[in-house]
Amino acid sequence: MRNSYLKRWLRDALGIFNLELKNILNDGGVMIIFIAAGFFYPILYNFVYKNGILEDTPIAVVDNADCSDSRRMIREMDATREIEIAYECVSMEEAKELFRQRKVNGIIYFPADFGECLAYKQTAKFSIYADMSSFLYYKNLLMGSNFVMLHEVNNIKIERYSFEGLTDAQADQAVNTVLYEDINPYNRAFSYSIFLISAILMLIIQQVMFYGMSMSVGTMREENRSFASLPDSLKGRGVGRVVLGRGAVYWLIFMIIGIYVTIVVPAMFHFPQRGSFWDIMVLLCLFVTVSVFFCMAWSTLVTRRESAFILFLFMSPVCVFLTGFSWPTSAFPVFWKYFSYLFPSTFGCQAFINLNTAGANLEIIAPLLRALCIQGVIYFVLACIAVYIENFVLKRKDEIDSAIRSVEDRIIERGERIGDRIEKQLQR
Amino acid sequence: MTFWQKIFSVVRRELRIWVRRPIYLLGTVAVMAFCTIFYLSFLKDGVPSDVPIAVVDLDRSSTSRNFCQQLDATQLGKVIYYDDFSSARADLQGGRVTSVCLIPEGFNRDIQAQRQPHLSFYINGLYFLGGSLAWKDILTMVNLTSGAVQRQVLRMKGVDENEIMGLLRPVDVDVHQIGNPTMNYGAYLANMMIPAMLQMVIIIVLIYSLGTELKYGTSRHLLQLTGDDIYAAVSGKVALYTLLFTAIGWTIEIILYKWMDFPLAGRLGEMLLACFLLVLASEAVAILIIGCVPVCRFALSIGALYSVLGLSLTGFTLPVEAMPLGLRGLTMMYPLRYYYQIYVHVGIFDNPFGDWYVYVLAMLAFCFLPFLVLKRLHSAYDKLDYARN
Repeated sequence: MRNSYLKRWLRDALGIFNLELKNILNDGGVMIIFIAAGFFYPILYNFVYKNGILEDTPIAVVDNADCSDSRRMIREMDATREIEIAYECVSMEEAKELFRQRKVNGIIYFPADFGECLAYKQTAKFSIYADMSSFLYYKNLLMGSNFVMLHEVNNIKIERYSFEGLTDAQADQAVNTVLYEDINPYNRAFSYSIFLISAILMLIIQQVMFYGMSMSVGTMREENRSFASLPDSLKGRGVGRVVLGRGAVYWLIFMIIGIYVTIVVPAMFHFPQRGSFWDIMVLLCLFVTVSVFFCMAWSTLVTRRESAFILFLFMSPVCVFLTGFSWPTSAFPVFWKYFSYLFPSTFGCQAFINLNTAGANLEIIAPLLRALCIQGVIYFVLACIAVYIENFVLKRKDEIDSAIRSVEDRIIERGERIGDRIEKQLQR
Repeated sequence: MTFWQKIFSVVRRELRIWVRRPIYLLGTVAVMAFCTIFYLSFLKDGVPSDVPIAVVDLDRSSTSRNFCQQLDATQLGKVIYYDDFSSARADLQGGRVTSVCLIPEGFNRDIQAQRQPHLSFYINGLYFLGGSLAWKDILTMVNLTSGAVQRQVLRMKGVDENEIMGLLRPVDVDVHQIGNPTMNYGAYLANMMIPAMLQMVIIIVLIYSLGTELKYGTSRHLLQLTGDDIYAAVSGKVALYTLLFTAIGWTIEIILYKWMDFPLAGRLGEMLLACFLLVLASEAVAILIIGCVPVCRFALSIGALYSVLGLSLTGFTLPVEAMPLGLRGLTMMYPLRYYYQIYVHVGIFDNPFGDWYVYVLAMLAFCFLPFLVLKRLHSAYDKLDYARN
């Protein structure tokens, strides 16, 4: 008995699997999304952010001090990776004009008393003006000038301390009371590409799956079929095999895309791959599974083929922010924090960043994996409920249809009345 | 029938469609309302505060405790104590803390004896904002600690109080952030993300609106209404959408610069002009796409791929100069790129019109694109000789 149930279960699930696979392969639109977005987007993004680092931001310098110290500092700034002294201006007006015309992205200004202050052993001040149209300009200007300043400060301090009667060794000890080293092990140069690409690779999997599945669900609905029809012989039972049978198709397709996105693409672009291969595979299996149930649950809301793009395309950038890759998770407003728990990408992206790019192991990301598991269970139940409701509706289609039609008629009637009124107004 | 009468009849027809199918208003007004609320409320703090910083204090002296308390007291940082380095490192790798600060054993003793102790801090640069802010915060604290010790030494040496400042800080820099003086991250992102979403919505919804006519074969009815005049048919539809999108766009601009008071050096009117041009140019792109590929589903897929990529190619996060040479030309295909340029000229520098009229012309040039494909769209609308869905 048990054996025959299992057999039948598998036969039904396989039938649904085949049907869904045929549908997907025959649908040009879905295939475009899977291939173009799944295979070319990761490459395109890697290409856009290939350099990742902005170097030699052009800067104008106004050196009113015109002393050896300021000249040396300017030379040193020019030598940093961040800054390039593009123009040396005679007046602030000239520099402002260049700044305004966007020939430079910042100004460094040494006031006339700069050298004098140094000579009198006071604090000598210089100013920088940064273009905030991109924060990277500001970062470059600040880092470049700070490196030079710290270096200079130390030299000048040692000189001044010696003057106060300290020996060289004493002066060095006094100046460098605390030595420090800053280590940025996972993203040494604060490269834009390493942090961004890590975050969006997993998101691409989830979003592509969602749009693809929504398109296919919408098409079926338009053609008066349903994604959820149960085999008639089952008398309304067998929700599980529909969900799992259909899910298996997407799971297989997206495991292939997933391996490509998380393993092959990073290798192609010499992206850091610090995690172990099997750890990433475990994460990928879990993430794809949860994403399948997530997409199944949400795509039930789609009634027409194109609706997914119109109603949900804007969610992709929102999901990127919700992964916490730029604005830190600890600073999320409470509402958005809970809202982010709706998406597998929130946990999946963080887990991938930690595993692949920071070289963590499964033990370290265990809380994220646990969250993914909970999500998976919830979305599986939701997907089952969706199939059950869909069947319930299908069986009582006629009664429900007539009820909906009467409501619709009323809405349309009212709409037309509004339209007529607007028409009259317009004619007037 | 005059041209205007034809347009009116198309507008009436379109209004009826809007009432009958809520997806149009959901996809425009509701989506833009959600995006505006999201970007403004998600980033409302401007700069994140209380970023978690792990401290492993192996010294447990008054100096090290003082250091931790001061670090905790900064607006930026929140100290989380760990007993050993390995558990702190695990949390750094797991993204639960942004940085780890390791205070070595004998820190206080070495400072007092002037033996220059080594303080190490590790940053997780994969969480960009949190990591770089924590880095800045710790660095400031280290310098302050070092300064406090130096002041003590100098006082003991009998150096004049007035001279101490010059000794501690011989060179200083004051930083002016032009265009965003408070370094408001929210303003920086919302200023461009919300118009970017507008561009996306315009392209998708207009492609859909023009494409469904083909999909459901209603395009002949549309052409009948205008007496086989494709110009009137498209203009009628576009006119109504232009009104809707301009209203949405202007509301957003007013929310950004009047209600939220985000910094804007120039006049609001200039930004409203830029927004209007963004609407026109994006609509032109939408017509171009549906005209080139008069199949609703393909056109929508292409529109979606195009507009999502636009977020990166506009260059407001990673500047265009840092992109590979081959891609820089591609950035010119996006109306949003010119909107961004106008925003920089107006919002940051308050430059006169003479400096940014080129971008206005570029956006207007987009408006000629539809004329390339209208003939083709006409034949598709008339003969319905393309796949229906």
